[in-house]
Amino acid sequence: MSKFQPLSDYQQSLVDGYQLLPFRFTALDDREYVLTNQAGEFIVMERSTLEALVRHRLPATNQFYDDLKSKHFIIDHDSSVAMDLLPLKVRTKLGRLADFTGLHLFVVSLRCEHSCPYCQVSRQSDNKLAFDMSVETAEKALVLVFRSPSRGIKIEFQGGEPLLNFSLIRYIVERAEAWNLAERRDLQFVIATNLAVITDEILEFCRDHDILISTSLDGPADLHNANRPRPGNDSYERAIAGISRVRDAVGRDRVSALMTTTKLSLGRVREIIDEYVKQGFRGIFLRLMSPYGFAVKTKWFKAYDVDEWLEFYFAGLNYILELNRSGNSFTEFYAATILAKMLTPFEPGFVDLRSPAGVGIAAIVYNYDGDVYASDESRMLAEMGDKTFRIGNVHRDRYEDIMTSDALLGPIEESFAASVPMCSDCAFEPFCGADPVFHHATQGDVVGRKPISAFCTRNMAIFRRLITLMRDDDEVRRIFVRWANSR
Amino acid sequence: MIMLSTRGLESRNLSGSPARMVMRVSEQHDRPKGLRAREAFLITDSNLPEGFGLYMAFAKDAASLGGLPSQAKTIILPDELVYLADGDVMRLWPKNNAIRVLYRRNSFHNHFLLTERCNHYCLMCSQPPKNIDDGWIADDVLAAIPLIDPSAQEIGFTGGEPTLLGDDFFRILRAMKSYLPRTAVHILSNGRLFSSPEFAKRYADIRHFDAMIGIPLYSDVSTIHDYVVQSDGAFDETIRGILNLKHYGQKVEIRVVVHRQTYARLPPLAEFLARNLTFVDHIALMGLEITGFTRANLESLWIDPVNYQQELYRAVSFLADSRMNVSIYNHQLCVLDERLWPFARKSISDWKNEYMPECLGCREKENCGGFFASAKIRYSDHIGPSPSSESRKGTPASFSI
Amino acid sequence: MSCRLVFSSQVYSVETIKKAAYRFSDVLSVDIIPRPHETECILHFISGSKEEEQAQQIVAAFKNEVLDQDLRSIISKETEAIRNAVLAFALSKTGLQGGE
Repeated sequence: MSKFQPLSDYQQSLVDGYQLLPFRFTALDDREYVLTNQAGEFIVMERSTLEALVRHRLPATNQFYDDLKSKHFIIDHDSSVAMDLLPLKVRTKLGRLADFTGLHLFVVSLRCEHSCPYCQVSRQSDNKLAFDMSVETAEKALVLVFRSPSRGIKIEFQGGEPLLNFSLIRYIVERAEAWNLAERRDLQFVIATNLAVITDEILEFCRDHDILISTSLDGPADLHNANRPRPGNDSYERAIAGISRVRDAVGRDRVSALMTTTKLSLGRVREIIDEYVKQGFRGIFLRLMSPYGFAVKTKWFKAYDVDEWLEFYFAGLNYILELNRSGNSFTEFYAATILAKMLTPFEPGFVDLRSPAGVGIAAIVYNYDGDVYASDESRMLAEMGDKTFRIGNVHRDRYEDIMTSDALLGPIEESFAASVPMCSDCAFEPFCGADPVFHHATQGDVVGRKPISAFCTRNMAIFRRLITLMRDDDEVRRIFVRWANSR
Repeated sequence: MIMLSTRGLESRNLSGSPARMVMRVSEQHDRPKGLRAREAFLITDSNLPEGFGLYMAFAKDAASLGGLPSQAKTIILPDELVYLADGDVMRLWPKNNAIRVLYRRNSFHNHFLLTERCNHYCLMCSQPPKNIDDGWIADDVLAAIPLIDPSAQEIGFTGGEPTLLGDDFFRILRAMKSYLPRTAVHILSNGRLFSSPEFAKRYADIRHFDAMIGIPLYSDVSTIHDYVVQSDGAFDETIRGILNLKHYGQKVEIRVVVHRQTYARLPPLAEFLARNLTFVDHIALMGLEITGFTRANLESLWIDPVNYQQELYRAVSFLADSRMNVSIYNHQLCVLDERLWPFARKSISDWKNEYMPECLGCREKENCGGFFASAKIRYSDHIGPSPSSESRKGTPASFSI
Repeated sequence: MSCRLVFSSQVYSVETIKKAAYRFSDVLSVDIIPRPHETECILHFISGSKEEEQAQQIVAAFKNEVLDQDLRSIISKETEAIRNAVLAFALSKTGLQGGE
């Protein structure tokens, strides 16, 4: 039809060529590479295409050209709106930074009746004065909590076994709620407990104040009890009974479970997942090996534990995918967090996978004695004798002193992934994080040399596996999109 | 199909009237006297209340017109206007007795065409642009709005390109807010004029309680979009318009017409929307209407919908899984992948909607939107009654909505 | 055990080679000796690592990494201004199109 122009009339780039937009690339496998832009969007292609792309030899007729344009890896004369959209996307990803510290952990007591070998902190003692947080300390900590500008404030009670100091939990909840009448933040409470000492009174309180329970479930009974000894050797039975009671009293989804992976867990991932399915959980967080002894890894060899753990993790992931394929919706939460970064415009805010590091600026710990730590691992490190990441004390320091202390800002700044060797080049950096505490503990400096970093090895293996799975299987990709967008 | 535009059969005393008369239809004998002069009374029995600006009767009741005063304005209506009812609004051209029903109180699908001018020239345009001065249309719309019953739920504004009206565009929206404060407004626009922040702000400053702009975006690739709308630079301006509208907190819907030029990149478009325009309020994926320019470009546009179900499913499931609101319009259920049925809406305006002979006996007719009347020219080779629900059991619901 | 490689300095900058060496620092330690027209690298395999057996593969991988680092430096040079502009806009409080 003569009054309609053909497609070629709208394609200036056939003549004019293209400009590169900022992107990074890293090998995916021995065939292909992953390219990512500043907003974490990714594309997979062979090295020959990548080379042609970078050297401005990629023709507009190439099968990747349109995708590279619309995903904002290149720009040509046909369209300039990429320069409006790209900054907006990056802004969305960085938005959480301005929220600042949202997760506040209160260690209300170190006392505990379990004696789990992987725990650094608990005290088998009845001395409440020595090992319980005082009202005075809690008050001072609450002042600091509400100094955070974050819209959402989550107060999590930890220990030892925090329920052994339930009266203080009650006090803190009521004080925080009263304070919040004026503050009007989105205030949430969590209690991390082994559930062995839960009572009806406590359950009622949790129901009345909408408190979430986070408990430990390491797997089937024998595994769980071997990991978590207590008098009577009935940790598992109490946990299961406790979960049931919480569900009845507070609500089905008000209790979640975390597992700790130990040497005993390796080789039993299917059973662990089956246990979680059996107990009615909607997903599982396949966690790292317990940090017990993590300080003793040698420098020059990648810890063999990383490979063993990856085998464990991937076996678990495969099994979970099998479950999903047969119609059972069940999520692996670590993958889901990473997938949210890969597949959505949002930043999930998981404190352990953030750059700048989440220490202090996303999560913070108020210990029973008033010491303030940049993270839970920072506290455990202190229990082992290393107080590098203690950033203040509620009785002595003001908010400003703590949040601008060198002990906090130094590690955040130095470990910032976009600036450090290898990470600054890495295509996976938008999905990854900085972990100054781990690198300090294993290598003696907060940055760590990534080629020998278990953190890096582990995460890169996971990123590669997730992208490869999506590349090779549409159904897995759909499952992953759902995980990425689940709350 | 309901005829909205037609011609009266015989009229009396209309010479000397204004060039166009916009009037509310009344069937109420006891209509307050002060309102009657602007209204057209529809005669159904021997009752002839005085003082109405126009009297209308169907041929079978034409005799009753004799009972009116000799100077009363009258017109005989063709039978196809049998649906006319109290509360409807119509426009009459006395010069040639042309009638257009502008608003039907009993319909959920009322819209006003604001202009036939457009700055695009879409390959599949159902309302081919005319470069004429049709500013009088806006005048008629402004005359009609006060006559509409305030209980109206929603009114659409279309064109051509409504924003080309400039000041009149805002005037009309303010009239909607003023006379019909609880009526939602849905505007179809290519969004380009909103790339000016001032224009977007002016729109936002109306502070209408429920206004949505439906903006077409046909591809994630600028060249394809520009080609479909036949305008260089359209993609960039449209997106900037969307960004501005969202900056000012306005509701935006993305509309995609699925045809041979757009189906292949539906999945990348879905990803583009989820990553770049994640804040839009709704996405509508629409079937082709075989009218206007579509007929001229049919060979480059037509594709049997069953042949793009894979792309459509991937796009819709990605958007839905990304928690965006997505609907499928103007597709018959039998051509859609069954997993997409929950997203299909009965979207064809009742005055345009029909079924084909192949639909005889189909169980899903109630739920299916049917066809545009124009579909007679070309429609899927795969239309047929839906299989019994027995054979459909066991189809897994693959994703949550 | 060690291996000697030579890179033309017309094609590959020392910076590029250093970055490649860094990535392999878990299995190699690299002596980098710049000369007027070439850069010499002595690759030492870290004793005790199981990768000693795959020496050839590692050398090949190292060379590929140098190529990759070269590509990265091209991208970096070409896109640095845009990268900074994007970050500046993203971290600013203003709207992007002459807004408030």
